[in-house]
Order: sequence, then C-alpha cells, then structure tokens
Amino acid sequence: MNNITVEIPQISGKSVAELGIGETALITSVGDDCLDIHCHCLRLMELGFTPGQEVTVVAKSPFKDPLAVSVRGTIIALRTSEAECIKISTNGIYN
Amino acid sequence: MAFTTKAANCHDNSAALNKKSKEIKRPVIALIGMPNSGKTTLFNALTGSNFKTSNYPGATVEYSMGKLMEKYDFDSDIMDSPGIISLNPSSPDEEVTINGLFNHPKFGLPDVVIVTCDCTQLSRQLFLVKQVIDTGFKTIVALTMNDLLAKKDFEISLDKLKSILKVPAVRVNGSKREGIQELARQAEELYADKSIPNYKASIHKLDHPTEADVAKLYDYTEDTERNVIEHLSHKLDIDEINKKNFHTLSRKPDKNSMRLDKIFLHPVWGILIFIISMGIIFTSIFWIAQPLMDIIDTGFSGLAELISSSLPEGTWYSDLITNGLINGFGSVMVFVPQIVILFILLGLLEDTGYLARAAMLIDKPLTKFGLNGRSFIPMLSGYACAIPAIMAARTISNRRERFLTIMVIPLMSCSARLPVYALLLAFLVPPDKPWIAGIGMGALYLFSIIAGAFTAGVISKFKKTNEKSTFMLELPPYRIPVFRNILKNTYYKALVYVKQAGPIIIVISLVLWALTYFPNVDPVLPESKKSGHSEEQVSRMLESERLSTSYGATVGKYVLEPILKPLGWDWRIGVSLISAFAAREVFVSAMAITFNITEEGDDGDNIQKSLLTTMQGAKTDSGASLFTTASTISLIIYFMFAMQCLSTVAVARKETASWKIPLLQIVIYTVMAYVLAFITYNGLNLLGIQ
Repeated sequence: MNNITVEIPQISGKSVAELGIGETALITSVGDDCLDIHCHCLRLMELGFTPGQEVTVVAKSPFKDPLAVSVRGTIIALRTSEAECIKISTNGIYN
Repeated sequence: MAFTTKAANCHDNSAALNKKSKEIKRPVIALIGMPNSGKTTLFNALTGSNFKTSNYPGATVEYSMGKLMEKYDFDSDIMDSPGIISLNPSSPDEEVTINGLFNHPKFGLPDVVIVTCDCTQLSRQLFLVKQVIDTGFKTIVALTMNDLLAKKDFEISLDKLKSILKVPAVRVNGSKREGIQELARQAEELYADKSIPNYKASIHKLDHPTEADVAKLYDYTEDTERNVIEHLSHKLDIDEINKKNFHTLSRKPDKNSMRLDKIFLHPVWGILIFIISMGIIFTSIFWIAQPLMDIIDTGFSGLAELISSSLPEGTWYSDLITNGLINGFGSVMVFVPQIVILFILLGLLEDTGYLARAAMLIDKPLTKFGLNGRSFIPMLSGYACAIPAIMAARTISNRRERFLTIMVIPLMSCSARLPVYALLLAFLVPPDKPWIAGIGMGALYLFSIIAGAFTAGVISKFKKTNEKSTFMLELPPYRIPVFRNILKNTYYKALVYVKQAGPIIIVISLVLWALTYFPNVDPVLPESKKSGHSEEQVSRMLESERLSTSYGATVGKYVLEPILKPLGWDWRIGVSLISAFAAREVFVSAMAITFNITEEGDDGDNIQKSLLTTMQGAKTDSGASLFTTASTISLIIYFMFAMQCLSTVAVARKETASWKIPLLQIVIYTVMAYVLAFITYNGLNLLGIQ
C-alpha cells in the first residue's frame, strides 16, 4: 500500500484516537503501519483526512467510541480503530 | 470489496423508472453531491412538488425523478441520487448512484451534471466536483450554504472559481429559491453547447484511485480554495490573517453545532436525550395514532354496515363487499396514521441533524451484537414497516453487517403488529385498566429490541468474517427542519405503503372470504333445529353452518388444527394466521371473519369491540374457552417472532440478491415462534395459569 507522509519534524506515532476532547493536532500520515489489508484508509483520506490537515476532537460518545472529529469544515464520527490510522504530530497538539 | 448486490440494486431502479419510459425523451440532468450538501433541497427547488420518489428516511436509497418546473423554461428531467463522497464507491448505495451516473439502464448518460458543493467546506467538497469534471461530464457547480460562509465573513469569487475549474458555477439557495433560474439557464446553455464533438463518447469512469491520487487531488482542491476564497468585509487586519490562518479560519466547523454536540454527545446528557427522544417516538406512535386509528376503524365498519343495509340481504355479493372488500381495505388504511407519525418524527430528527448523532451514540453497543451504528436508522424504521427499513440498510457498507441488519429487521415490532397486539392485550387486560395494556405494549417494544440484539449476537457468533467493519459518518450541522419538505416526503412514503401493501392485503382478504364462504353457499338446516329460534338466530346458525362446511374450515380442521393444538389454538386461529402472511394486521380482520359469524357477537360500534366480545365467548370443540390467558399470550409470543409477512420476504430477496437470507428468516423465525409459543402456553398451564 502506498502511504503518504508529509515531512513534519516530530513524527510521534500518536494517533487521533489519543487526543482528548477539544484538542487539535496536525495529521502526519494516514494508514502508515496499517497491517490490516481490509483497512479503509483510502476512504478516510477521501473524507478529507489527509496529511497536513488540522483535526480537532469535538466530542466522544459515552462509551469513548466513536469520536467526533472535525476536519475541513465538517464533523465526522469515527471509531477509535479508524482514528488510530490517522497519525498526528506531537508538537501540534493544542487546545 | 464484494458487493454482489449491485447488479440487483441497479436493476430494481431501472424497473421502477421504466414505468415512466413511455414519455418523450427529454434532456436528463443528474444531480449529485456529498451527503448533507443541500442536494435534496435543491432538487425540491428545481422540481417543485412535481416529482416521484420511492425512498425512505435515513437515506435517499433510490433515485427520485422529477421534471424541471415550467417557470424555468427548460423542458428537462432531473434525476436525484444518494449522496456520495467520491466516485470510488464504498457502500451499496454509493454503488447504485455511481452506476446510475455512468450506465443508467434507461437514461444512459445524463446530458448535464449538476454537482452541489457546500462552500463552507470548499476544500473537501471540491474533491467530488473535480472528480466529476475529470470524467468528462458537462458539469455545473451549484454552490450551496453561501449564507453560512458569509456569516464567517467569507465569500467565494465565482469568476475565479469558473476560470480555475473551467466549468460554470452558480450560487444557489434552495430553501429561498435563489439562483435556481440562473442554474436552469446555465444547464440549458450547456446542454445546447455542441462544441465538444461526440461528447458522450468522451466520458469515462475514473480508475480506482491510490492514496497518492487522493492526496494529489486534495492538493488541487486546497490550492483552488486558497485562490477563490475571499474576505467579505476586510474587517480583520491583513497581517493577522497570514496565508495559513486564512484558510484554516474558513475551515472551522459550524460553531453552534460544536457547542450543541457538547450536550447531545455528552456521556450523561447525551444518553438521557437519546432515551427520551426514542421514548417520545415510540409513545407517540402508540398514543397519538390510536385515536386516529379508531376513527378509521369505526369509519370502515360504519361504511360496511351502511352498504350491507342497502344491498339485498343474504346474497353472496353483499357479503363479498362488506366482509371481504371493505374489511380488507380498512385493514390497509388503519396503519396510515402510525406510518405518517413515525416518518414525520424520523424526518424531523434527520433534518435537525440529530439522527446521525443518535447513530454515533448507539454504535458501540450495537457492535457488541455484530451490528453497526448505521444499523440503527434501518432498525428504527423497522418499527414502522420492515419494507422501507430493509431498503434503508443499503447505507451500511459492510456486507455482513448489512445482511445481519436485514436479518433482524423483521423482529422489530412493526406497525402491522400493533393492531394484533392491541386486540390481544385488550383481551387480556380488564377494561377499566387500559394503562396496563400501555405498559404491556411498551414491554413488547422493548422485548423486540432485546430479541433482535440477541438474535444478531447469536448469528454473528456463528459466522465469522475478515471484512473490516467501519463507521465513518458525517455529522451534519444542526439545522431547523423545513416542515414542508418533511410533510411532502411523508406523504410519498405513506403512498408507497398503501400502493405496495394495499393490493396484496385486499387480495388475501378476498381469497380468505371465498374460502370461508364456498362451497356451501345456501346451507340447509333441518326443521327440528330451526324450531324455537328467532329469525336472527336462524340466520346466524346458517352462517355458522356455511363456515364450518367451507373449504377454509376443511383445511383448517385437518391440516392446521393438529399442528396448532399444542399451542392452545384451533383451526379458526390457524386460518387467520395463514391469511396474516399477506400482512400481520390481516390477522385482525381474518379473526373478524372467522369468528364473528360463528359466535354470538353484538353489533357494537367497531370491529375490535365486537370481536372482543366474540373472543370471550369462543369455545373449543370440547366446550372449554378458546381464548385463555395462556393461549392469548402464546399468540402474542408467536407474533413477535414469526416471519408473517410475504412482502418482507420479497424485499429481503431483492435487496440481498439471493434466497439465503429470506429462507433463513422464514425457517429460523417460524421455528422460534412455534417453539416459544409452545413453551409459553404449556409453561403457563403448568404454573396453573389458564
């Protein structure tokens, strides 16, 4: 699978799933080290989660899964397992 | 990805549209766009009320075809389709849309494509716009939500956008009917444009994109956004908005929605609001619809009486019209209030944007049973009718979850079960305590959810899969719903129900009438039996004699009764059950036919009341009461599980493109229903409850 990585200094290995409510970060890669061949990373990118984009966790459902993530002017509900495919840079996390 | 259903889906749509194919060929304008991009509002503005649709809440699962309003002066057809994210499909309903766009069985390729584009998410929505342009379609961009962008103090330069995309672009406001005339004019101009020779031959499907392709396309849309977005009032200091801030500012989601989501998706309040809103939906289906249903019921029995008094008494056609036809028609119409109320409420919830949040809230619990948050809306629709519900399951991209959802939908307590439960509960509960029946009904609803979840859980344990489950659902901004559109939508849904379920229910009513009327049309009683009885009693005895020597009785006594006896039922209930295969609610009118004319019944004010009296007097062959607490509860249990609906079987076959699911449903649910009814009846008897 071709994975796209934008060169941002601190590649943290952290993902959107690890962000708290209200926290914002920049996407570094989507679907990197994704071992699952059935992964829907392409759809995640089509939805607008592309490297370099800013994402904010707007809310988490009562069971902490799925999360509501804002990207490119909209809010998209994602499961934790899907959010884990979206890696973020540590230096970008802010409230 | 394996979507074996795509051929079937495509075919269904063509069949539906073929009915209209006799008309003269007009230019076809296809309307496409991302979900929640204002596409349906635009479609309503373009076509007025002049459209035909066969879709249901939760998803625009089928095409809607409409004619462009005459005032726009361009004789053409508009084709609406479900929202899509990209031209590379990942769910059956996206597949339907995309196939329809490139290879529509009836219309072929559209002459013009209008793509709606929510300009508050320009970089995202241009993605689909650009894909459509790249395929070679004659494309017009319809920019929606301009007012929301203006609130953020931005606007889009139309001239710049047109010069970058090299296609026409128009600002529209569907609900205020602004820009529609201009859009129609552009479409006509583009249609007449013959500068591209053999235009339709140049249209091509895009290759399956790689992740690099997607990233590249987004680079393009971001560049475009940066170039076309302009500051409206220039209130902000130019230095303050450097390049990066500038476009990230325009990419902030709707502030009110973010604020409201803090409440609606709150761990405590969110769940509480969810439970309350679902509670309101279910109670209003029952409480608000009930008086309306009573009115319809009383109306039809009054009509039957009126007609029977004006026709010669004792003739077969008088009996056919009152007992067969009017009864049958009444049992179709009696559900319309429930269906209307459910669809209005679902429409309201969907339009406000809450329904998507509800699906998100319930996703995690549903995954425990092998289902998906997206299963929620189809399952909820299943409380009105399984037919639209099964069709709404098309939005579930995972094949297994979709089939599992379709599998359990018949267990949801559809509105056709309500009259059956209402009758049986009314029989069980003392008349001075109707609230007990209300609680009983609530318990049945709750139990149907539990039964559905349990069944799904068991089936998913048996059938493992590698296919990965996904959710990924856009949460649209909260909006004030447009009531006019909801009512219009609801009207079409009720119409579809009457048209689809109506004929089959009426036909079965007539067949049943014939089975209980023939062959002994003029029964003869020995004089010795007649003596000492009034004329009315004799006429009742004659009817009773006719029925007990009828074809229906013969089948019932020798085939059904031995099977049903262990459950505490007799052949008359059996005949009613068989007729309820047309639709569950037919059970009530069938009971009226099979019991009313065999037992003393008073000529009460409506069918249900006189039927209740009849049921209380009904006896088995041995002279014991037929309807005991135990046998009535076992009937309720039977109705909860049994696959008593041929239309559902047909739709499940169509939607899954195989007989596997519908056959499994028939076998599993019938066996479950029989076994559980058996356990209930005999268990209660063992406990000393008759």
